[in-house]
Amino acid sequence: MAETALDFQEAIQIKNGSFWRISAIARNAFREAVRDRVLYNLVLFVLLLTGASIFIGELSGGQERKVIVDLGLSAMLLFGVFIAIFVGVGLVYKEIERRTIYAVFSKPVGRGEFLIGKYLGLCLTLLVNVLVMAVGVSLALMYVSHGWDPLILMVWPAVLLIYLELMLLTAVALLFSSFSSPALSALLTFMVFIIGHFSADLKSLAVSLGSTSARWFFTALYYLLPNLANYSFITPAAHGRAPAPGFVFATALYALVYIAVILAGATLVFSRRNFK
Amino acid sequence: MSINSEAAKNDRLKTIALASVVLVGIASAALLVRWADALRPPPDPNAIDENLYVNGKTARRVSLGFNGLVADWYWMRSLQYVGRKIMNHPDDVPLDNLGQLNMKLLAPLLDTATTLDPNFLDPYEYAAIVLPSVDVQEGIRITKKGIEANPNAWRLYQHLGYIYWQQHDYQAASETYGRGAQIPGVPAWMEAMKAKMAADGGSRSTAREIYTRMFEQSSDEQVKEMARRRLLQLDSFDQRDGLRRILTAYQGRTGKCPNSWHDLGLSSAPLDPTGVPYVLRAGTCEVELNPKSEIPAK
Repeated sequence: MAETALDFQEAIQIKNGSFWRISAIARNAFREAVRDRVLYNLVLFVLLLTGASIFIGELSGGQERKVIVDLGLSAMLLFGVFIAIFVGVGLVYKEIERRTIYAVFSKPVGRGEFLIGKYLGLCLTLLVNVLVMAVGVSLALMYVSHGWDPLILMVWPAVLLIYLELMLLTAVALLFSSFSSPALSALLTFMVFIIGHFSADLKSLAVSLGSTSARWFFTALYYLLPNLANYSFITPAAHGRAPAPGFVFATALYALVYIAVILAGATLVFSRRNFK
Repeated sequence: MSINSEAAKNDRLKTIALASVVLVGIASAALLVRWADALRPPPDPNAIDENLYVNGKTARRVSLGFNGLVADWYWMRSLQYVGRKIMNHPDDVPLDNLGQLNMKLLAPLLDTATTLDPNFLDPYEYAAIVLPSVDVQEGIRITKKGIEANPNAWRLYQHLGYIYWQQHDYQAASETYGRGAQIPGVPAWMEAMKAKMAADGGSRSTAREIYTRMFEQSSDEQVKEMARRRLLQLDSFDQRDGLRRILTAYQGRTGKCPNSWHDLGLSSAPLDPTGVPYVLRAGTCEVELNPKSEIPAK
């Protein structure tokens, strides 16, 4: 931790300006995640995919390519969700718990810059994680197909959508952790992940309800909560279907807007927090 | 110095002891589990399968975007369910004649897999091939569900036509092949099958055409194997018809049926398409498949 604080202080002293401060905090958060062995989950992922590539042909009745894509991308999402939730909720809490946050805020660093830097650091960790896993899925596909497989090209747009979903979820975890304990934040973030995938049901529930107030409530909930179902493109990818570029653009824009809203809310809460 | 070396020796001994406990413990656990497995009573083949706890729609709802993976799991469960039933059965049973195996869970498993991933075509094919002998209405329903979700998948029309053909509903089979033939890019034989079904649905040549196409088109090894064996069976039907004609001619000449192949002037029994000798039932003019033959009797 002493080393981390030193890296951080050096970076702050070397460069001035908001961008550099955020970038220094992000780099620091990434290094911290790597030192915390967050990327060790890749070993488990590689073992899972290797095992699946070798044995799944026996079990799937000739559907090993589909199973590899389903398994690889689902594991990518699941591992990513765990990292986003469990590392995300500790990003701010750990700094407060260890009292290193006082050292950070004794420098010319804004609370918003601190939050955004932490957020981008975890997003960078997730990006490395997701990229390595996507390469792993591509290699596993090449292994089972004994060479180049056109399905590889269909996997990458789905990977992009998974990454956008993870970015969104990390922002949610950060928002909760800015005012709540890690355990409660993890629980709330996980609930958002679940409800986010039920968004279509929320909409149909709102339509089917007789009471106007209930209809309004569920419609508001549908628009208020992140619609994560749009980022599920694993199953179509396994069938060799890629999302339309317009769809990817719209969902990416939605994610960016939603993330901006959440980070703004988290900064609002965090700015008013008293650390004494 | 000597105290240090003594401490190091103790540490080494402790490490060895702990490592031994781990190794011996793992070995003992493996032996104990083998012993427990041996003591466990074998599963009752006549036991009634418990219904699935979760239906397809609920499973899809709670799968949280992992529906493809859960569909794969249900698909593999279906394959293992059928495989286990076949392995527990003393006789060799062809894939399209599994009605005797009490496969109550197969339709719900395939239905759940296809509800979770409606574009997953292999479970529909499996439903069309295996289910008719178990629950034909479920086979038709699941295949129709597949057509609804994948209107351009011409192979589903082929499978549905196959089910109707098995039920001797040649008119419905002809209409189904006809609907499939209208899909752009479909092989020309689908249109030919429409006409063949309408004109000559119950013939052996239609059966040969159906199984040949199934063998060529299927990506499932089990289905391919089933089609291969049905084609061998059709060849065997032709051969046995030929042999019966020879036996009838012999009876016409001598007034009795032969007692052995030697009576017909043959040095050994004729072989079926798999190379196994046919069996002549002495004095009956009847020729049968050898029980050792892999050709299905029915």
